[in-house]
Amino acid sequence: MFRKSLAAMTLSLAAPIAAAEPVKMCVFDVIGANGDVFNMVKDYALEMKSHGVDFELRPYTDEGVAVGDFNSGQCDVVAATDLRTRPFNRFTGSISAVGAIPTYDDLRTLLATLAQPKAAPLMKENGYEVLGIVPAGAGYLFVNDRSIDTAGELAGKRMATLDYQKDAIHMVNYVKATVVPSDITNFAGKFNNGSVDTAYAPAFAYEALELYKGIGDTGGIVDYPLAQLTIQIIAKDDVLDDAAAQQSREVAWGMYGQAMDLVTRLEDAIPEEKWIRISDNDIQGYQEMFRENRIQLRDGTGGASQVYHPKMMSLLSNIRCASNPGASECTAGNRE
Amino acid sequence: MTSSLVTPNAILRGIHAKLLAVASLVLLAGCSANPIYSTTGIVLTNYAEGEATPYVLQMNDPKMACSLGESLDPLVYSFSRVTSAPDTTGALLMLLAGNCTELQAWEEELRYLRADFQGNVAEAKDARESMKRLNAEVAKRRYLAFQRAMRAYDYDPSQENVECPFLFEDQDELTFMVGLLTGMQGIVNDANSGAMAGVPRNIAPQAERAAQCLDNEKWAGLPNAIRALVWLLLPDTQPALAPDPWRVFEDSARIGVEKGMRISMALEAIAAETFGRPDVLEDVLARYAESEDRFEVREDYRLIDTIAGDVMMFVSDKYWTTNYGYRTPQRFFGQLSEERPGEETEVMDLDGLL
Repeated sequence: MFRKSLAAMTLSLAAPIAAAEPVKMCVFDVIGANGDVFNMVKDYALEMKSHGVDFELRPYTDEGVAVGDFNSGQCDVVAATDLRTRPFNRFTGSISAVGAIPTYDDLRTLLATLAQPKAAPLMKENGYEVLGIVPAGAGYLFVNDRSIDTAGELAGKRMATLDYQKDAIHMVNYVKATVVPSDITNFAGKFNNGSVDTAYAPAFAYEALELYKGIGDTGGIVDYPLAQLTIQIIAKDDVLDDAAAQQSREVAWGMYGQAMDLVTRLEDAIPEEKWIRISDNDIQGYQEMFRENRIQLRDGTGGASQVYHPKMMSLLSNIRCASNPGASECTAGNRE
Repeated sequence: MTSSLVTPNAILRGIHAKLLAVASLVLLAGCSANPIYSTTGIVLTNYAEGEATPYVLQMNDPKMACSLGESLDPLVYSFSRVTSAPDTTGALLMLLAGNCTELQAWEEELRYLRADFQGNVAEAKDARESMKRLNAEVAKRRYLAFQRAMRAYDYDPSQENVECPFLFEDQDELTFMVGLLTGMQGIVNDANSGAMAGVPRNIAPQAERAAQCLDNEKWAGLPNAIRALVWLLLPDTQPALAPDPWRVFEDSARIGVEKGMRISMALEAIAAETFGRPDVLEDVLARYAESEDRFEVREDYRLIDTIAGDVMMFVSDKYWTTNYGYRTPQRFFGQLSEERPGEETEVMDLDGLL
């Protein structure tokens, strides 16, 4: 009797993965089913099949629609950038905090840390669970004038800003630039036709969206990561059991190398002369400015909303100070 | 008698003629190449362009055409070492060579989907890896074909406000047009390879602009179909007053059937698959199957319509293999399931006999 009920209990616990129905996943890729992200998610899904989870993928070229369909229950899982998945998990949604991850080495440390079983409790929030995080490349500042290479130079400049990205809006206001509300489909056009002076985007956009047109002969790309964009896989909490969810995070972490190969190739495709290298002195200035912003966006001060999760800010600060112990922030009184 | 003809004057004339011939050969040869080679190159290139290409375009055997591309391209294009590069023929030959590898990539993709359907993960991973490598090769060949097609007409697609090229013959227009399409396909192949080939993604907006140099009606709706595909990829490239891309596809597909070349339909099917529109996929496959009865192919470009048909079959096979584990049964081509509404046959009650 006891055996039977134990078996029944085990079965009911395993029910989410044992279900014959495939798990529906809405996948955002600007190029749809033939895009780089969708292809990577196919590899992820195949790997997950060997762990007993069967995904059915559906492509979306509009991230807002993908998340909307996830919210309305048309899919059980969504893969989209953390700019859109932030509401489902503020902790992992804070990975793209401004200037918080200045190098890919730091990003690697972070994602390896979050893939550990110990991090599992942090992956759940409000009935949702993060099933994996894959890098999509750093966002850089594209400018139409190479003299815009310090925060001070941004004052009065028009900047294409994603209208749903509260932290970016705060940051643009902070440097006294003008927010020009935009979305993923039109920011490149605005930059290229000169209706804005600056825009931020990952290296992918340089070629695909022809941002070199907006750069012209006088502009460039500031070689400092403004934020690290990631693709996050978010599920409703009851879709996978804890073991499968952890397995999924480890599978996603296993794809780090593949994702970074892609990012590196895209960054290397940008001609050397288009990069604006900035001095160590200016980098320090940038870092301090970003830090002040992050603190405001963590605490909801200085006119900012509470966007960033304090625990993620603290973890990122530890990672930065481990790789660069001499940085001034590591001895600051108000460490993140 | 014969010897009397050999006078000093005749000898001088002979030497003169030989010197002239040598001088002309030297001129033909440029500085370094063997004059015979360069002459052969010119002859072969002209023959390929004037005779072989129209002949191949009338074929209805894509496999033989692609084999021709693979085997002849290195020979024909090698003449770029001794004379000007044969870019028009070179573009078409390389394009055909790309199709050869793509046929293999398709088979590997179907193998991956079959294994995935059966839950055989190791087999699926192996097939997927093989598919990626083949796609990288297709992407490289297609990018090369695109570059040659653009170079053939001195068209630099990266230039801002670039003028349309001079396209004198129909064959020039066709080469330029399929060159654009091949570039677009190269992007898709590259993405499906895991970006192994590094095909620049700005080919898409470049193709959108260049497609406007071609007459949409004359070319079976393909120029507008190319534009519609780019509008879906990069919404920013769509002019403010342009119609919905899916409507453009439908219109191009209709023109394609009327003009005897259904290549726009193939592009519509790829777009439907890429942008997750199974409703459009079902519709375009049905329209294609339906067109078979009354369709009259444009003889001069039969090969292009046949290749488009292969693409339609592959897109259908992918759907069938993903959902049922096997490719499209012949009699169900044009639909996405084996249901045949209205074909239920009435049966008699056997109770009285048992």
